[in-house]
Amino acid sequence: MSRRAEGGKVRAAVRRGAVWFATFAVASVTFSTSALAHAGSLAGSLRSVPAPFWLVVVSGGGVVCVSFLLSAFVTDDETLDAFERAGVRIGGLAGAVATAEAALKLLGVAALVLVVAFGLFGPPVGIANLGVLLVWVGWWAGFAMVAYLVGNAWPLVNPWRTLGAALRGRFVAGGRLLRPYPDRLGSWPSVAGLLGLVWLEVVSPLAANPRALAVVVVAYSLGTVGGAVVYGDAWFRRADPVARVFRLYGLLAPVRRGDGGGISISVPGAGLARSRERLGADDVAFVVALLWVTTFDGLVVTVAWGRVLDAAAPVPAWLANLVGIVAGFLVFLGGYRLAARIARGTADTYVTVGFVAGWFAPALVPIAAGYHLAHFLGYVVGLAPALVAVAASPLSPPANPSVLAVPAWFGGLQLAFVVLGHLLSVWVAHARAFDLFPGRLQPLRSEYPFVAVTVGYTMASLWVVAQPTVGGVAG
Amino acid sequence: MSRGASRGVSHEESVVVPETAVLDGETAAATCPYCDRPFRRERLRDLHVGDAHERLSDGEKAAYEAAVEAEDEDLFIYHLKVAGALGVVFTALFLLAVVGFSL
Repeated sequence: MSRRAEGGKVRAAVRRGAVWFATFAVASVTFSTSALAHAGSLAGSLRSVPAPFWLVVVSGGGVVCVSFLLSAFVTDDETLDAFERAGVRIGGLAGAVATAEAALKLLGVAALVLVVAFGLFGPPVGIANLGVLLVWVGWWAGFAMVAYLVGNAWPLVNPWRTLGAALRGRFVAGGRLLRPYPDRLGSWPSVAGLLGLVWLEVVSPLAANPRALAVVVVAYSLGTVGGAVVYGDAWFRRADPVARVFRLYGLLAPVRRGDGGGISISVPGAGLARSRERLGADDVAFVVALLWVTTFDGLVVTVAWGRVLDAAAPVPAWLANLVGIVAGFLVFLGGYRLAARIARGTADTYVTVGFVAGWFAPALVPIAAGYHLAHFLGYVVGLAPALVAVAASPLSPPANPSVLAVPAWFGGLQLAFVVLGHLLSVWVAHARAFDLFPGRLQPLRSEYPFVAVTVGYTMASLWVVAQPTVGGVAG
Repeated sequence: MSRGASRGVSHEESVVVPETAVLDGETAAATCPYCDRPFRRERLRDLHVGDAHERLSDGEKAAYEAAVEAEDEDLFIYHLKVAGALGVVFTALFLLAVVGFSL
């Protein structure tokens, strides 16, 4: 290495030190005051508010903004690489994985049979019905949390995949039904499927009426197993919304399946930062749809949304909800595309808008997961005793299973999850920007519009999470 | 030492080749001689060549080092601005908190 380069390095180090010092000086002075506001705001975010709610919302946006500004100091490859690559690889588990695989497959199919059987013939009250509790508490809330907090076991548990593979084996002999997945459809069926499923969940009494739930599950099973038989695993990779949601959540999780069949454990979000998959416009739409439906799921139970439905009175609620879910999705997608378009300008690059949009889309997953956690943790904790009690005697369940009332500080925890998801999102976008653009300034400049969108989105979702809701936990 | 070299030999294969588009009637200011990726600034091309590719010519190495050094200067100014922005954000939050708690 030349002496000149070495001198430059020393100078750079001194400069970096100076900037760090200045930053910490500013931060330490102001943190002492903002800590007060923070403690006050978290303690009473929902009721008996010592800090006005708008301050909580603005502080949330401010925290995300500050996290980006701090991340701007992390520009060296070693640190960024460490985030993406640090981890443990556990090999030699092939035997255990194979056993677990068989067990999980069996478990998945058994759960599907239980859900349909209890939905059709079990007690007609949602909260006393094992099928209803399994679907909403055990799976849609609980299993999804495990998928992004620990690891995604859905490809193994997925009962429709197991059934589809078994049936496909039979049809191979005939071979008439098997077809390659039509490429021109892309992943658009999964986008429509995701919006459709959540809309159905919102407008129909699926959480309260076991019979209706069983009918929907049977219909969905027929469609999915049919797709799996005809198109094989491509169906779950491209068209099945549920499998695709869990796949995205699994990328966020610390535990993932290694390339060699073992298991790898890494920092949460590293999978998203490292993913080299090329996302097309359809895949971007799916990620944005996931983000939007988690928000919409929380939005529809608020008093504010109830007022919107009232205002649209002559229009039936199902139609208003349908218009709402589609319009909101288009607004989100448009906002994200606009951010990608602006990023092309701020980064001063020839990389196409489509590629930029696809490149940064994985960074949206932690936001969706943080929002899901905020929305459903209280629900799972509250209804877990009911699930256990009903599972213990499903045929003659307690008439009124006990439900835990979540303590008041849970509201603060919810806000923290929302902000945490956004912080992780900013960091994943940061790491990805450095893998796409050369040098250290261009990546930082490419992040501006996405950070602006994230800050706005933080504030919007904090508002939604803290809105008073109609109805109890059981829906 | 080039940043690329620290990642080992397999690095070149893991480099992202993004989709790019240069509008008609526009000519790219610089193009990577290895992967044809167009850049709007020569400095960005030089940084990219040093980051992403191996077995560079002496001229490319020198250009890379010059680009890194020039970027260091800019990054220093940039970081000062970021530190200033942090100060502004914290001050704004502090003032908002004062207003919020005294209402």
